Amino acid sequence: MMWKNLTKGVFRENPIFVIGLGLCPTLGVSTQVVNALGMGAGVIFVLLGSNIFVSLLKNYIPNNVRIPSYIVIIASFVTIVEMVMHAYFPSLYESLGVFVPLIVVNCIILGRAEAFANKNSVLDSILDAIGMGVGFTVSLILISLIREVLGSGTITLFPMGTFDGVIEIPILYTAPMRVLSLSAGALLVMGYLKAFFNWYSSREEGPAK
Amino acid sequence: MKNMINIGSRLAIICAVSAIILAVVNSKTAPIIVLQQENAVKEALEQVSSGYTVGEQQTTDDPEINYIYPLYKDDSVVGYIMNLQSNGYGGPMKLLASFTTSGETLGVKLVEDSETPGLGKKAESNEYMTKFIGKGDSTPLPLKKSDLTMSEADSVSGASITFGGIAKALSAGSLYAKKLGGAK
Repeated sequence: MMWKNLTKGVFRENPIFVIGLGLCPTLGVSTQVVNALGMGAGVIFVLLGSNIFVSLLKNYIPNNVRIPSYIVIIASFVTIVEMVMHAYFPSLYESLGVFVPLIVVNCIILGRAEAFANKNSVLDSILDAIGMGVGFTVSLILISLIREVLGSGTITLFPMGTFDGVIEIPILYTAPMRVLSLSAGALLVMGYLKAFFNWYSSREEGPAK
Repeated sequence: MKNMINIGSRLAIICAVSAIILAVVNSKTAPIIVLQQENAVKEALEQVSSGYTVGEQQTTDDPEINYIYPLYKDDSVVGYIMNLQSNGYGGPMKLLASFTTSGETLGVKLVEDSETPGLGKKAESNEYMTKFIGKGDSTPLPLKKSDLTMSEADSVSGASITFGGIAKALSAGSLYAKKLGGAK
């Protein structure tokens, strides 16, 4: 049961491809792999924090003001992420731009607080947060990897030492499929991946009657 | 009524605790952020200064030029670094560019933009700006795509509006540098 709380977010209840939550930042930041990693880390941290506190305070928070309370808790964690990112990872902060403060209204986080953390124990909420956060991050990395490799012919990671963080892929770098790095490409990639997930899960359940 | 006060005070306590936590984090990160922004400005100035000494920041009356820094060589003004305001495809852009007093472009850097990644964003690279450098005095700055050579035109295709915005701002800056000359 506990193990299921951790793994369901990655595949069976994948927040992006199956539940369809948090699509706006997904489409917005998935132009570079480094953005996906940064966004994913931010969301995991906020989700973990908000799930823990919502679960801890579930008996203290009055039912009629629970949504405002959740938003305050979530917004606090997002602001912490924003400040820390601005101070220590300025280039990541620049490229994520408005999507960092928008984590506040990311439906995955509010959705998990409302649908899971306020009914379950702290431990289960932590597992749920990690599962959902990892599911979100993996999906985001997948989309951005496809978009960046085909759309600009590069893979951008963190610069380390002499390595400037950008891997150039021959052929694709000089003749990239530019449409994939534009907004339309985000929707296309997203749609194909969602179709693939649907096909895979329907095949797992056996043929339809 | 009593219930409402109870609910309100609980919400207030949650907010107060959040505010305190944020204040603590802010007190740790704010100085680092300020330091970093100062460094970023300094670094950008150094990149376009072409080895000349950068003077004090001055304001201008031109709406396209946010502020300028005179460049000195042996106590005489040889050029200016300008922070130029322009518009790209994704909204306002800011450029940091240096010109000699005769209007020649020495260096350009796109410091603030929201252009499309993979297209207009390419203007952030240093190679992109080479088509402007050394121009502006006797050779005019390219303003349209047709002013560019074949390979240069390739590098701006798909992002003509970004190119136009940068070119327009640079020619305004070059003119302004000529107008100021070596005075002051």
